[in-house]
Amino acid sequence: MTFVIREAKQTDLEAIMAIEVECFVNDAWSKENMQSELNAPHTYYLVAVVADAVVGYAGSSQLDGATQADIQTIAVKPNQRGTGIGRALMVALTNQAKRSGAKEIFLEVRADNTVAQKLYRVFGFKQIGLRKQYYQPDGVDAFVMKTSLLPAVTAEPLVLGIETSCDETGIGIVRGNTLLANVISSSMDLHARFGGVVPEVAARAHLEALGPVLEQALAQAKVTLEELDAIAVTNGPGLAGALMVGVGAAKALAVATGKPIYAVNHLVGHVAADILDQGKLTVPTIALLVSGGHTSLLLVRDLLNDVQLLGETIDDAAGEAFDKVARVLGLSYPGGPEIDKAALGGNPAAIRFPRGLTLPKDMDQHRYDFSFSGLKTAVARHVELAESKSEKFVVADVAASFREAVVDVLVTKAIAACLDHSIPRLLLGGGVIANSRLREVAIAKCAASGIELRIPPLSLCTDNGAMIAILGSQLVQAGYAPSTLDFSADSTLSVTAIQS
Amino acid sequence: MTNVTSTRLPDYSLAIDTSAGTTVALLSLGSVVAEVNYLEPMTHSERIGSAIQNVLKQGRVSPRDIYQVVVGRGPGPFTGLRVGLAAAKFFAIGAKAKLVGVCSLDAIAYSYYLANPDQSLPLLVTTDARRKEVFWALYTGITEGVPSRVEGPSVNKPEFLSDHLKDQKHVVCELPITASALGQVAYYQALTDTGTSKDSSPLYLREPDAVPGKAKKVSG
Repeated sequence: MTFVIREAKQTDLEAIMAIEVECFVNDAWSKENMQSELNAPHTYYLVAVVADAVVGYAGSSQLDGATQADIQTIAVKPNQRGTGIGRALMVALTNQAKRSGAKEIFLEVRADNTVAQKLYRVFGFKQIGLRKQYYQPDGVDAFVMKTSLLPAVTAEPLVLGIETSCDETGIGIVRGNTLLANVISSSMDLHARFGGVVPEVAARAHLEALGPVLEQALAQAKVTLEELDAIAVTNGPGLAGALMVGVGAAKALAVATGKPIYAVNHLVGHVAADILDQGKLTVPTIALLVSGGHTSLLLVRDLLNDVQLLGETIDDAAGEAFDKVARVLGLSYPGGPEIDKAALGGNPAAIRFPRGLTLPKDMDQHRYDFSFSGLKTAVARHVELAESKSEKFVVADVAASFREAVVDVLVTKAIAACLDHSIPRLLLGGGVIANSRLREVAIAKCAASGIELRIPPLSLCTDNGAMIAILGSQLVQAGYAPSTLDFSADSTLSVTAIQS
Repeated sequence: MTNVTSTRLPDYSLAIDTSAGTTVALLSLGSVVAEVNYLEPMTHSERIGSAIQNVLKQGRVSPRDIYQVVVGRGPGPFTGLRVGLAAAKFFAIGAKAKLVGVCSLDAIAYSYYLANPDQSLPLLVTTDARRKEVFWALYTGITEGVPSRVEGPSVNKPEFLSDHLKDQKHVVCELPITASALGQVAYYQALTDTGTSKDSSPLYLREPDAVPGKAKKVSG
């Protein structure tokens, strides 16, 4: 559902009053009060419109030349809540206050309205006072809240992003929505002899790579640390020891330079990467993120406000399955490209390997979840059986059939998510997107189902700092307050925690 | 006007060690201006940012006034140790300060000698290395503020250590590591001929735990 924010007109009065009465019941303003608010020279009222109908409104008041503004009211129709309208109204009011020279914004909120308080805290509002029994006739207390406005946010903030959640040390720099630098140092080769990412090896490599990667990123972007508007860092999910290297570095850099810091979610960063390619993210969209560490299906209604996890792997990540099967077939690490090569000329229908969690009973409980551990075992069993009978097996057929099983499940479930939610958009992210067969099948099946498919360039699909920078940039542009310095690295951070 | 004031700023240094808990200190010419110590061994990445900010605030010093960052190179549990090393590195870059490394056990020896001037016996400093082992180093005294390390840092089982030192009388100390002591060691090192070490790489002393992978048999 898309909405538009515009300035309120006198003709909106009836629609506004209908929402006022519905939302505030006992302490609703009278029609006369509302009319004089809309008419007053020092007020600024906005409405949110969906399909020509007013579904929300908000207003602020600021006397000429005053450095303080007050938020007078904000309301969204109950059936339209949770779609980002309230936040958008707040952004617009805040920006107007900044334009008019306000340094502080005040508001009052019912003590029992925790939903509104949560929204205000996102914008940096803190409680500074209490008005006893302010709301009558209910006798409910009011919290007085205040936020201090940062110097007017530039429309195009310069943001540096740091990513260390797995085996890539990434630092990216963006200005607004434009990519200036994306430097990645991978420790992949160091993990090769272990057949998979070793957390301690990855964390050691991050510490060594961070300094040179930062230097290169600044050189590539031709900017200095002083010019930055903010620093963003991945604080989860990922490998705990690896995350902590980036978090420790980012916090110290923020203190040393006096720049605000934004702790952001790695998975949501993968979604944000599309902005670097397209200049914007079209929502709502389904996102399929597939890498060595994650296999997740997301429903993104609003990048900064509303990301929902539909399903994820219950055992191995898809990339991990490629690595493990590569080992079974005597191929090297990382398994994805090796299996792609080995599958050349193979028959993908030669062996019908199992498709995890696709049986009717599984689809009830795990409609959007994935499982690859059984598939890996089936491949190993197939190979061992052939070897025990001293039969030759065709590596190309096994590789192609295995790959087909993985791709089939990934694409089928992603498309089901699009169709179930009537969202004709699918965004791919994560390193496994490099797999040629996955791209082929996704392109063909999306086209057949009328789904618009987005595949950002590979350098933005694998883990990188630019996607963290662009997510930070969106938060800055939308007026979100920075994170406080004591956030933690959280290896199991939920996708709903977009900023910590 | 005859009222002459010195325009020279004190040489501020910031010391950081996360080889055990999280400890951060602000020093001016070798004397401690402010210090923050968290003993718990798990919260380094949460604490480090505000710990640095707090000592700067207490000392009313801006990051640009820091000319040197001193970091404890360990040994210590790897995950926590790296947080301090990463923070020190990026603070130094951000504040355009120089970065020097000090063996964390040297800071413990410094604290010991400060409290116990007697140097007649060698000093054994140990810290918990987990897995029934200890990190250790042996000192013969302190010269011009710099502990004289003659063995270590190493990691061994306590049985090895007692056997290794069985013919040598010594004293043992297990004091906590403080960033103030670390900063003071670096300050005194700079005054000696050897100088401070630009090496700020971690003293892991152990290889990562990992064995080259083989495919496991699944049928059998």
